[in-house]
Amino acid sequence: MINFILQQIVNAIGYGCILGLLGIGYTIIYGVAGLINFAHGEIFMIASIVAYLVGYLMQASFIYASIVAIITALCCGLLLNYLIYQPCIKRRSSVLTIFIASFGASVFLRFLLLMLLTDRRRPFPIPLVFEHVFSVGELRVPLKDVITLGISIVVVIITVYIVKYTRTGIAMRAFAFDKETAQVMGISLSRITTIAFVLGGSLAGVAAIVYGLTFGVVYPTMGFLPGLYGFMAAVIGGIGNVLGGFIGGILLGFAEIFTVAFFPPALSPLRPLLVWVILILIMLFKPTGLFKPNIKFEELRG
Amino acid sequence: MLHSELKGRPILRYIFCFVLLILGAVFAEFFVRGVYKDVLILTAINAIVCLSAVVTNTFAGQFSLGFGGIMLTAAYTASLFTLPPSYKMVFLNLPPFLARLQWPFIPALLLGVLFSVLASLFFVFPSFRLRGHYFILITLGLNVIFANLAINLRDWTHGPLGIRNIPFYTNAWWAFGGLGLTLWFLDRFISSRFGRALIIVGRDETLAASLGINVLFYKFLAFLISSIIQGFAGVLWVHYIGSMHPNVFDLNFVFLIVAMYALGGSQRLSGAILGAAIVTALTHLARPIQEGFTLFGYTIPPLMGLIQVLIALILIIVMIFRPEGIIRRKI
Repeated sequence: MINFILQQIVNAIGYGCILGLLGIGYTIIYGVAGLINFAHGEIFMIASIVAYLVGYLMQASFIYASIVAIITALCCGLLLNYLIYQPCIKRRSSVLTIFIASFGASVFLRFLLLMLLTDRRRPFPIPLVFEHVFSVGELRVPLKDVITLGISIVVVIITVYIVKYTRTGIAMRAFAFDKETAQVMGISLSRITTIAFVLGGSLAGVAAIVYGLTFGVVYPTMGFLPGLYGFMAAVIGGIGNVLGGFIGGILLGFAEIFTVAFFPPALSPLRPLLVWVILILIMLFKPTGLFKPNIKFEELRG
Repeated sequence: MLHSELKGRPILRYIFCFVLLILGAVFAEFFVRGVYKDVLILTAINAIVCLSAVVTNTFAGQFSLGFGGIMLTAAYTASLFTLPPSYKMVFLNLPPFLARLQWPFIPALLLGVLFSVLASLFFVFPSFRLRGHYFILITLGLNVIFANLAINLRDWTHGPLGIRNIPFYTNAWWAFGGLGLTLWFLDRFISSRFGRALIIVGRDETLAASLGINVLFYKFLAFLISSIIQGFAGVLWVHYIGSMHPNVFDLNFVFLIVAMYALGGSQRLSGAILGAAIVTALTHLARPIQEGFTLFGYTIPPLMGLIQVLIALILIIVMIFRPEGIIRRKI
């Protein structure tokens, strides 16, 4: 039994890292620009598919494929920013207009890829070396999970460093906390939003690599649910709080894996429903998240 | 203001709408068939859903995407009561009293609407606590939950295999009559005391509360009205299509309705109808292109998802350059 629980913990950390990385992307973009990038899950999906195309069809090495995927994700974030969000922000469109536009962008990207590639599941190019599984007693720890955790921790440390200590990061946090004052102090709205999208996009790219390592499949509709869970992770961690977003993702991973593991088998088809119920209850009763959000409370409520 | 179309001459406006609806119904019933009839009748039904979205999303200021779940509830409830007993005995595992029952359309419609009101309670209470993006996500999640329940309650819904043999009660008169009724009701409603108070609640809750308007009551009222309309539309839809599946009102459907709502003009009732007409026509008439064809010897392969790509593109362009939609609000 204790081994089973430990095994589930290993799985949950692997899964939670993905949600955490997505959650950081949301938290940065929502914190700075005050909008949900609904197409974040689609950036993640495109990065996975690019990694598949480069690594599997062109037989490139894993490192090369990952770098290309992350750069693609970064470019996607930039493109979305310049083509959709910047024009909307410049015209002072309402939050709902921007939400509808980003909903449109998400559907556009998903169905464009669906149109070009069909809904077939394709293998992610995992190097054979990564398939190794360590045995610690009866516990099986896949090397992939160790690498996942390693990549995630390194990326989170880099992101926290950027947001906490560099000039740009301090400007971003100032902007998230009080938009008017930050603009009076000479921080440019369009520049800071662009930087947020670059950071968020590249984090989605890293999440895509990590997802591919863990699950090993790539398909055009894969971005939707992880995208929503990523936003939930950002909410749980407190919007605008980078480390909180990552920890929120890990907690969410634990919640999902453990409901799957310890749910009576008779009710097993209802699992996704239970995860959603947990998420909705968290949103209803603790909308500020578990950690301190770096955003004004009034903005959080509406 | 929201209701200023043809202002000052309500009788002219009513005659115009009435003639248009009668024309649509006569055309759909007698003159066209096949895909064109589908376009006309589904335009009317989608326009009804869109109008219900205008009540919560524009008037009450609560951007809800929950119409999928509410329509699913209403459609399943009504179809359980109108299905022929022979079908229910074979495919479903219902309590005996329900299995032997077959109601006519109107009582089943009323029951469906009642259950859609009950389902809307799940959306009302979150709307008291949350706003903005959080509320949108909650409604989206509730949609997923409703669809998941429909897949898993196999005894009642036949699971992912869906229900067939639902009698075709909805004709052009029902669809266009329902649209006319909804339009008339909403037009009267927004110029009434309740409607004006609701619009203030949607604009600024603090202001509304300081004017002595009971904000919670008006949010409740908005969800009540919109769920009645959505239930009505759901029941009409299922009795026009004749089959039911847990995923018919999924995220794609929600996206199409949002596109209709935003394209036509989210501030006006007429915008909802225009948006429904554009999107429904595009969805149905572009289907042959999506399934691939041969043009001057070139074979164009099937491009599944082309319709959604087109609609999303149009939606993004309209949202950037004309955020209020095609029909703008006159001030």
